[in-house]
Amino acid sequence: MVKGLVGFILGGLLTFGATQAAELDVVATSSSMGALARTIGAERAQVTVLASPDRDLHMLQAKPTMIRALRDADLVVAVGAELEVGWLPVAIASAGNPRILPGQPGYFEAAAQVDLLEVGLPANRALGDVHPVGNPHVNMDPVRMAIVASALGERMALLDPAGAETYRANARSFAAATEQRMNAWQARLAGAPGVILYHRDALYLLDRFGVPLLGTIEEIPGVPPTAQQIKALSEHLQGRSGVIVYAPYMSAQAPERLAKGLGWEARRLALDPPIGADGGGYLDHIDLWVDTLSHAR
Amino acid sequence: MALLTPMSALPATDTEIAELRTMLDQMKSQYERRIQDLESRLAKAERDATKAATRSEAAAVRAEEAARVASTESRPMTAPVVTPPASPEPGKTGFGALNSGNAFNPQISAFLDGNYYHDGIDGEGATLVGLAYQPSRGADHGHDHEEDGGHVHGLTENGFNFREAEIAFSATVDPYFDASLFLAIDGDGTVELEEGYFQTRSLPAGLRVKGGKFLSDFGYINRQHPHQWDFVDQNLPYLNLLGPHGLQDTGLQLTWLPKLPVYTLLGVEGLQGNQEIFGATLGDDDQAALELGDTDDGPRLWTAFAKVAPEIGINHALQLGLSYADNNQHQEVQEHTHAHDGDLDDAHDDDHAIEIHRNGLAGDAQLWGVDLVYKYDGGGAYGHKSFKLQSEYLRSIKDMRITSSAHPEVVGSRRTFTTDGLYAQAIYGFAPKWTAGLRYDVLGMTNEVSGSENASFGSSDRWTFDVTWNLSEFSRLRAQYAHNDILQAPGERERFDAFYLQFLVSMGSHGAHAF
Repeated sequence: MVKGLVGFILGGLLTFGATQAAELDVVATSSSMGALARTIGAERAQVTVLASPDRDLHMLQAKPTMIRALRDADLVVAVGAELEVGWLPVAIASAGNPRILPGQPGYFEAAAQVDLLEVGLPANRALGDVHPVGNPHVNMDPVRMAIVASALGERMALLDPAGAETYRANARSFAAATEQRMNAWQARLAGAPGVILYHRDALYLLDRFGVPLLGTIEEIPGVPPTAQQIKALSEHLQGRSGVIVYAPYMSAQAPERLAKGLGWEARRLALDPPIGADGGGYLDHIDLWVDTLSHAR
Repeated sequence: MALLTPMSALPATDTEIAELRTMLDQMKSQYERRIQDLESRLAKAERDATKAATRSEAAAVRAEEAARVASTESRPMTAPVVTPPASPEPGKTGFGALNSGNAFNPQISAFLDGNYYHDGIDGEGATLVGLAYQPSRGADHGHDHEEDGGHVHGLTENGFNFREAEIAFSATVDPYFDASLFLAIDGDGTVELEEGYFQTRSLPAGLRVKGGKFLSDFGYINRQHPHQWDFVDQNLPYLNLLGPHGLQDTGLQLTWLPKLPVYTLLGVEGLQGNQEIFGATLGDDDQAALELGDTDDGPRLWTAFAKVAPEIGINHALQLGLSYADNNQHQEVQEHTHAHDGDLDDAHDDDHAIEIHRNGLAGDAQLWGVDLVYKYDGGGAYGHKSFKLQSEYLRSIKDMRITSSAHPEVVGSRRTFTTDGLYAQAIYGFAPKWTAGLRYDVLGMTNEVSGSENASFGSSDRWTFDVTWNLSEFSRLRAQYAHNDILQAPGERERFDAFYLQFLVSMGSHGAHAF
């Protein structure tokens, strides 16, 4: 028993020592943010991602293991703009780590680095779970993400000056890699007929490439649609072409019914890349979305 | 007069001309002034526009310079946040959290909690579940002085009840402290301070200090407010061993999150000890009459707790906790009828006793708690397929001596009161926005008095089932049914069914999804 306990503690200390090898202990809320942190931090950063891409980042709970991860973090990378408002502030406050409090260099919000869409909507909850600060899902726009990457590079350089050149170079190469794919994406999405989203979460991608948003399945954020609303949407778009996209944590029922009514395809797509993705993985994730939007019938 | 007319007419035309000329001049100058005014306004607007542009450019350059200076000097940058935002989007400093909070006002939210209640025993049930029999109950014990007003919380009757409106304020005070304030207003308009505390935000090494009046971190459900519960009412062990407010007291808390591979939270609390059941003290008159001694100086209540949460997968969470509390002063009075000489707690209502004897008891109280919480995030829409299992065991031990009695031979003899309790509950999201819950709670698996006198009593238990409809993050409706089997007094049981319909709404800032 005692032996086991000693072994446990020793083992723990050893693993703990191993994670200390990296210069920066980075905690990312989502896999998109994790992908940026991995690409820019490269081997100088140890990245932990808190949320799985198939879970709703807005609805998570502050788990003790998240608090543990934040306890020793040098840097928290969040999407921000109140997307993680339900759990990240609680988790950060509980972590007893003053370096990552909002306002400190150890706190980084992607949404605070770029211009937001839908800023200043009325603060009226009759309109659902609205956030007047702006639509937070900036991770769906690769161009904004390149700007975020550059800001993140500067932030990492600030926290770990010895790696400043590495971080800046990595941010530049991420921007270059994004730039490289932009033309192809633009070409493929030119004339895309449009999309129906469940929630206005891929808005930044559509806005970037001029893909029309034909409608949303939920009329009000956070409120599931009624059969009536689905019927109205179906009648309104009858005869047009497009595609329906919904996040993994949304109910498939309404999208499938609508797809049947319109003769379109309904695709279940995550807003974030797989959990271990790096910068390339993130761009592949955008590829997947471009692919889906460009094949709309 | 005829001569006068042209005379007056002539100078009139002269003055008219002069007047016209001055009018013309005035108009000219007026228009010139207006044109000048417009021109200068235009120029000013142009200047302002360029100024704004250069200002934001300058700010950007300044920020860049600051960042570069800070990074080359390799010291943590803390100041740049104070650069006044020159950009048209205020608050965008890049370091902070974007939010729609308003300036320096605290975050405010209000919860309204009301219900329709019905049981088969004329509405007595909701009070009765908090009075399940145990040999020691503390200050609110005593069959006589309970009815006359006393301290009855959230008295629920058959029919409509407004349980409480809770108003919560929270804000960052300064770089050193956060603070929160929770007020509860019951259906009669009585305001009670639920919590009011400060908490440190910048202590090193995973340390935090909390001070003020707060809900102790003993156990798991203790720190939750009623609107956070998964059932309408509190479980039997907490309700009966700690009272309707749980361990809510004034004092200090220190917690430490050590640098271990597994989440481990250790904490101690020193609290004043003004409790109703767990470590109660009596009034001056009783203390004098029963030779109990005065109330000791605080803090009298000490707690220690440890919580461990191993990593068991990204969509799962498990937390185990062990808690201990010690109130170093507990006093109570126990009554018995003269007819049952020497019997402490026997039925005094049955036969018409002539004399009531009061024994004074003084000592201390200990409480142990073990808790387990497991949560699974099912990933379905609006909580669909999510699961939560929660269970706690509490054991209260009150070690006392008789300080005064009508029977001098028992004075100084020892009485140890032990009562334990357990609850286990599971919640499952059976459809988007809908959850169903099942709870079993029991008080008094051990329910005994030992020492120089030994007696054991039975237990009270209950099965509860509820269905909750979470319409949005801000409102919920709940239906709850419970079958109760409550030990009212030794050998006397009340079995009844109780039904609740509850509404819960929240207004104001976005609530926190704490574990």
